[in-house]
Amino acid sequence: MIRRNPWLYYGRKALAFLLSVLVLSAAAFYIARLAPGDPLVSYYGDRVERMRPDERARAEEKLGLNAPIHVQYVRWLRGALQGDFGISYKYKTDVLEVIGGRVGNTLILGGVGFVLIFGLSLGLGLFCAWNEGRWADRIVCRLGTVTSCIPEFWLSLVLILIFAVNLRWLPSGGAYSVGGTGGVGDRALHLILPMTVTVLGHLWYYAYMIRNKLLEEARAEYVLLAKAKGLSRRRVLFKHCLRNVMPAYLSIMAISVPHILGGTYIVETVFSYPGIGTLSYESARYQDYNLLMVLCILSGVVVILFNMIAQIINERIDPRMRDAEIVETTEVTGVGE
Amino acid sequence: MESKFVRVGIRPVPAPRLRRARWYEGKPIASMFILGAILLGCLLCGLFLPKDPAYMDLFNVCVPPSGEFWFGTDTMGRDIFSMIWHGGRVSLCIGFLATLISTVIAVTFGALSGMAPRWLDDLLMRAAEIWLSIPGLLLAALIQAILGRASVVSISVVIGVTGWASIAKVVRAEVRRLRGSEYVVAARCMGAGFFRVLWKHLAPNFFSSIMFMVVMNVRGAIVSESTLSFMGLGLPLEIVSWGSMLSLSEKALSSGAWWIILIPGAFLVATLLCVTSIGNYLRTGGSREESNL
Repeated sequence: MIRRNPWLYYGRKALAFLLSVLVLSAAAFYIARLAPGDPLVSYYGDRVERMRPDERARAEEKLGLNAPIHVQYVRWLRGALQGDFGISYKYKTDVLEVIGGRVGNTLILGGVGFVLIFGLSLGLGLFCAWNEGRWADRIVCRLGTVTSCIPEFWLSLVLILIFAVNLRWLPSGGAYSVGGTGGVGDRALHLILPMTVTVLGHLWYYAYMIRNKLLEEARAEYVLLAKAKGLSRRRVLFKHCLRNVMPAYLSIMAISVPHILGGTYIVETVFSYPGIGTLSYESARYQDYNLLMVLCILSGVVVILFNMIAQIINERIDPRMRDAEIVETTEVTGVGE
Repeated sequence: MESKFVRVGIRPVPAPRLRRARWYEGKPIASMFILGAILLGCLLCGLFLPKDPAYMDLFNVCVPPSGEFWFGTDTMGRDIFSMIWHGGRVSLCIGFLATLISTVIAVTFGALSGMAPRWLDDLLMRAAEIWLSIPGLLLAALIQAILGRASVVSISVVIGVTGWASIAKVVRAEVRRLRGSEYVVAARCMGAGFFRVLWKHLAPNFFSSIMFMVVMNVRGAIVSESTLSFMGLGLPLEIVSWGSMLSLSEKALSSGAWWIILIPGAFLVATLLCVTSIGNYLRTGGSREESNL
């Protein structure tokens, strides 16, 4: 299909994508409105409790909360299509502005974290496969199992306790010093601990997977042939085995993007790092509907988009994978989430 | 008669001594022992604990570990030693309950998908994949927020409902493999219903292959509960669990009270490690052929 008519192929993908986003937005809208809690509180603060009924009705009308849900949704959708996502009740400014101020921080944490996880897990997996069964492999496997058992939030707490509270080497939270200029060095210093947690929390899951996949490849017939031809052990592992493992690894890494971002949400909250994670957490707690909607859709778009990318990688690079299951991580790695 | 042939160059190889493996070899004894001790302590904590875990002793707030308070007290003056065991009860209970819920959903869903015609199978599996690609913790937090105030049962249901998809995929693959076999066909010919075939014929055959994932699910559920409670989205402070004990850690950090953070966390991590190594033991068939590399 992809070779015969790429336009049709990608057009279909785009259509499916748009449809999913539409369904997602409707679902998120209804769920947010059905959840308990009072959105007026986030706009007016404690004043809400002292409001008279007529004041309350006027406030609801002002924010458009008195219409039936489907009318509200259509109104929201009409605005959204013109790029107007409403105002955040808590920050009293345009939603996109609030998010725009934070999204960079999350992208730095998540993006650099993703690259580190990708590179390190590849290296670690190769190292373990190279030393299969020897003490180096065994020690790394043991350590990896231990790190994969430590919940991210607790690791963050312990690191803060050691490096920020006791040793006072690193700051305990935030993205830059209060009142500081926010220079590169300052930001990097604030990134060390959250980045460590993000990377350690995911690293072994992927490293172990690539190790096991490589070991599976090492038992294939073609390895025997390559060795009989006189190729060196390194060449066989790095050129032949790795190349066969790569498509599966790439697609799993594409699927992992939402999970790594989801992990940064926890880390951000613990380190009070001003990113999308802390923002979602706040907006869910204070019923900041407009903000919550956009954040939900944003997360959903990331999930759907990277699933599609994984599918395309599978179908383009490795024809053998066309009918295969994409998400097989838990079975292969045995680490699970 | 003496042989004319003299054997040259073959060194006699002694036959490998066959020794029966002892019962404990290859089994995660240490993990089983530690997990057993924690389980027993949590179950019997009412018998040996001197203090009430909910009692707030306001004269002894944030006391470091000492003779009277073995693990110290937290920022609300509660005795951490008693809280550990009572909290373990709640945490482990949620772990098992959530896993039970996920497994039931996963087996039903997976078997349904495995036995279904092609189009329904595709539809169900696509749904499971979408479910799997959403970070589970975010989903659990969202559902819990909608349900409102959390209790032990409600949080188990939330975690159970979010964590079934990966098991369902394995069940479906196994059912697909098994459904053509003679005994299943025979049972269906005799008029056995869906659930009877599932229970009597399919489940015993695929149970061993999902056992590992079920054990890992216990681990995942305990982690989810503690993370949610820690962030203030799960159990409230009054319901003591390992996660809700850690939710006090922000105050503990500012006062440098390490015992409030390290002790419950150490119990949590120890439990997770034991569960993992038992799970790994259940998974490996062990025998792997020789590497060609």
